[in-house]
Amino acid sequence: MDQKLSTDYILQVRGLRKNYGGIKALDGIFFELRKGEVHALMGENGAGKSTFMKILAGLEKPDSGEILLEGAPYKPRGTYDALQKGISMIHQELLAVPELSVAENLFLGKEITGFWRKWIDNRAINEMAADRLKKLGITIPPETKMKLLSVAEMQMVEIAKALSNDARILIMDEPTSALSDREAERLFGLIGDLKNKGVGIIYISHKMDEIFRISDTVTVFRDGRFIDTRPAGELDQPALISLMVGRKLTGFFPENTSEKGAPIYTVRHLSQYNCFHDISFELHAGEILGISGLVGAGRTELARVLYGLDSADEGQALLHGEPMLPDSPRTAIRKGIAYVSEDRKSVGLITKMSVLQNISLASLNNYAAYSFIKKKDEQSAAGKLARHLRIKCSSLHQRVETLSGGNQQKVAIAKALLTKPKIIILDEPTRGIDIGAKAEVYHLIRQLASEGLGIILISSEMPEIIGLCDRVLVLSQGKQAALLNKSEATQEKIMYHSMPR
Amino acid sequence: MKKISLDHIGQYGIAIAFVLICVLLSILHPAFLTLSNLRVILTQVSINALLAFGVTFVIITGGIDLSLGSVLAVAGIAAAIFAHPDSYPLVVPLAAGIGTGVLFGAFNGFVITKSKVPPFIVTLGTMTIARGLALIFSNGRPVSNLSDAFNFIGGGTIWGIPFPIVILVFTFIVCALLLGKTTWGRYMYAVGGNELAARASGINVNKVKMMVYTLCGGLAGIAGVLLTSRITTGQPNAGMGFELDAIAAAIIGGTSTSGGTGNMVGTLLGALLIGVISNGLDLMNVSSYYQLVIKGLIIVGAVVLDSMSKNR
Amino acid sequence: MIRKAISSLFLAATLWSCGGSETATGPVIGVSMLSLQNEFVVNVADEIEKKAGEHGVKLIMVDAERSALKQVEQVESFIAQKVDAIILNPCEVEASSPAVEKAKAAGIPIVNVNSETNASPSAFVGSDDVESGRIAMRYIAEKLDGNGNVLIMHGYMGQAAQIQRDKGAKEILAGNPGLKLLAEQTAQWDRSKAMSLTENWIQSYGSRISAIFAQNDEMGMGAVKALSEAGLKDKVIVVSIDAIPDALQAVNKGNLDATVFQNAVEQGGQSLETALKLINNEPVKPTVLIPFKLVTKDNVAEYLK
Repeated sequence: MDQKLSTDYILQVRGLRKNYGGIKALDGIFFELRKGEVHALMGENGAGKSTFMKILAGLEKPDSGEILLEGAPYKPRGTYDALQKGISMIHQELLAVPELSVAENLFLGKEITGFWRKWIDNRAINEMAADRLKKLGITIPPETKMKLLSVAEMQMVEIAKALSNDARILIMDEPTSALSDREAERLFGLIGDLKNKGVGIIYISHKMDEIFRISDTVTVFRDGRFIDTRPAGELDQPALISLMVGRKLTGFFPENTSEKGAPIYTVRHLSQYNCFHDISFELHAGEILGISGLVGAGRTELARVLYGLDSADEGQALLHGEPMLPDSPRTAIRKGIAYVSEDRKSVGLITKMSVLQNISLASLNNYAAYSFIKKKDEQSAAGKLARHLRIKCSSLHQRVETLSGGNQQKVAIAKALLTKPKIIILDEPTRGIDIGAKAEVYHLIRQLASEGLGIILISSEMPEIIGLCDRVLVLSQGKQAALLNKSEATQEKIMYHSMPR
Repeated sequence: MKKISLDHIGQYGIAIAFVLICVLLSILHPAFLTLSNLRVILTQVSINALLAFGVTFVIITGGIDLSLGSVLAVAGIAAAIFAHPDSYPLVVPLAAGIGTGVLFGAFNGFVITKSKVPPFIVTLGTMTIARGLALIFSNGRPVSNLSDAFNFIGGGTIWGIPFPIVILVFTFIVCALLLGKTTWGRYMYAVGGNELAARASGINVNKVKMMVYTLCGGLAGIAGVLLTSRITTGQPNAGMGFELDAIAAAIIGGTSTSGGTGNMVGTLLGALLIGVISNGLDLMNVSSYYQLVIKGLIIVGAVVLDSMSKNR
Repeated sequence: MIRKAISSLFLAATLWSCGGSETATGPVIGVSMLSLQNEFVVNVADEIEKKAGEHGVKLIMVDAERSALKQVEQVESFIAQKVDAIILNPCEVEASSPAVEKAKAAGIPIVNVNSETNASPSAFVGSDDVESGRIAMRYIAEKLDGNGNVLIMHGYMGQAAQIQRDKGAKEILAGNPGLKLLAEQTAQWDRSKAMSLTENWIQSYGSRISAIFAQNDEMGMGAVKALSEAGLKDKVIVVSIDAIPDALQAVNKGNLDATVFQNAVEQGGQSLETALKLINNEPVKPTVLIPFKLVTKDNVAEYLK
């Protein structure tokens, strides 16, 4: 190690170990962070990243090993202590209080009081919040209630909140998972500013392009062990992936082998005021139609209408020539439309229930006689699908909440598939899942298409849209901006059409 | 093996608590562990257990029913009015009592699903309405002089087994099967676990809710008939506070008030635990002031033991 | 606040409907009853209404639903409406006292009926509950020749009736060393709770039980039911208080050994008449005691309608 540089290290971690029961979550971790450095931490889900972050943020205590913060031993007593010492974390899961305003959330726990008043001075915190948001280029009115914001907007507030703590080290766990590219750009700009101020940033993401774009150094964990630390410039994508998974991953995006079939589904002039207007497209059997657009472009809203979760104001949809705008998901399922939500935990799955119960939930009537569930039929059908999708669980009776994100997503897809749909709408199917699982999901989607399903794929990840889709519908501010063929669908073109004008 | 431990883990705590209390009471009082006392306990428990079964369905879907005690009273009065000797065949008072319960349950379900007003408020209103109607139908006085056939329901025996116990066992089996083995039961868990996800899975959430409240009302109706027959009088002020005992039984039995978890075996154990404590303390002639404290402590203790066994 | 508004609305409605009747010129009396869900109280209330009709009195009758707070609010509302007199059937000894004080401060005569308050009203009409306990327990002592095991079933612990009936019964027990108090427990005035309690007692004491004193008839009936089912009714004497129709029937059939008649009709009628006298500034006795009577199979015919 270069002796000259060592004084620049803001954080040094040596031989960190942590066991949960008999499982080694961390097995001798090394990690070093310099001032003004963006240090990407990579690894598949279960590699130990979360445990490591929790220890740094004061949520967990290590079993052994040493952490030095600017040369002094660092043993946080809790999150508040960690914050005091300058380590701030932006959580993957949003921890905002929905009933409070943006400003109130920003200053939660350290309300400012007026000069002579003891109660919270609303105007003062609104002004301070507006000031802070403006510095970060965020244009949300500070008095807006948190629950009225989109996921992306909430995340921006979370980041603003973390930065307000005068952090020396900032931990970002998948900060862009719900952000549009434009919003992500703004975040990267912000990260640049922080670097210049000497803040050390630990950056966790599954998005490769982001990693190469912003990080200076990359550390890879695998199965709780430290694998390697390298300057980002020395790595390329295949090299990084092979470090993470310990093997070469070939054919990240599967080849399109299926023939485009006959059109099965037609949407004409569909509108839902305030969300989207005059959307028209056709979907063929065996086709993957991508829907791209910035956050707030109306993609999820469109999907919800097609699935009967919300109602349309105008327009129609035809399935095999028959009018098909479902009045409820129940009707949609019966007619052969399935939907996998972007929001696994609140719309997609019932996390308290088991893998089996979730998979069969939408098609339970097919496995029952006189309302009595035929356990064997249910188990064999769900089991077959679980094996087919390679869902990793100890048994079909494991609760979904204990599964990893990727496996949860597969359960949600399995549930949709068991209804034997003709069309399946996948809304952000790879959000928050690791790279190995992503590849599996991509292959699965392609396989479904080749089996003759019509697939609508909503995604914020450009590579996903370009790599997987046969055609791409671009939405911008609720309007249909373009419908591009595979040959036309380049990143630049999609971006160009996505931009509001 | 794995399957059982995952599905039923919540019951261990309450089962252990129940056994411990029973062993303790058998040591403390010789009359506790006798066949005749067992008969007494089960008979006394039957009414609370019926209500608790009903409210278990409701709580699993994430709701609550506070109108149980009052619905029991009005159903009991409705049955008693038609149960005078030599007036109507037995089926009439039975239908009147159970039907009244079903109607009130359906009313709860209808208002809750149509108005989106929280169940707590709706059933609180129904609680008052039902109590008022019980007083109106009975002119505020007990309705007595009931037929022998009707009084058999609460006081008769079959092969030496008190009839309320027969009803208890039968109802328990039906409720346990409905909740554990049918699509409806599965949908109840789904609605309570995550209403939005249940709807997105094509479940008719309103229909499920309508069903659980109606079912709960119907069980309160049966309990009302049973109570009226047991005391051979329709009492307009019967069942005051019964809803709290029923809810307590369900929660002691591992039903989570946040919805989505619980089962009938647990609820039955919860109701039995409450009944056994009452019986045991009466046997030992513990002063009523101390009874309240001891009952409370044991209930809290059982729930703590239960949550400890779940978190392990 | 809301409750107050609703109750005054209710009062206004009652007043309006009374105002429409032909007796509009008579005096107005406000009546607040303990609970119109209790049969005895309903009987008292019925008699007050009947007598009011005879005398051309306008009545505003409200139900305090066992809440002393509500009762005080109701009396405040009577005062605001400037009624000529108030009849109060107090919920609680202490907590209902402000109602009496407020009425007196406003110069409105107030008559307590059936039970007492700490604050002394213009007049009290009722019976001495301690005496009812004495009568019941004295009957048990006579029947058992002063020797045997007795169980006492209490009402809601801490209520005036429970305390006084218990006091009377215990006085007699103290005078009969041969009577042993086996156990005492509350069944909260409730028939089904009394039945369960008696079942439990039977498990514990079985044939050692010689008599049960229940502080009201509802509980007495529950005890009788449990004893009959256990085949013990012939061996155990059951006595209770109030003489409700159900209990009278049971005495007639020989199931219940005795009940103590508390004269609801007399209490109701006398309270209204006392209130009228107060309105007309006629002299009244500060305490009008209506005597209790023991009802057994020998004299039950007099009380059965």
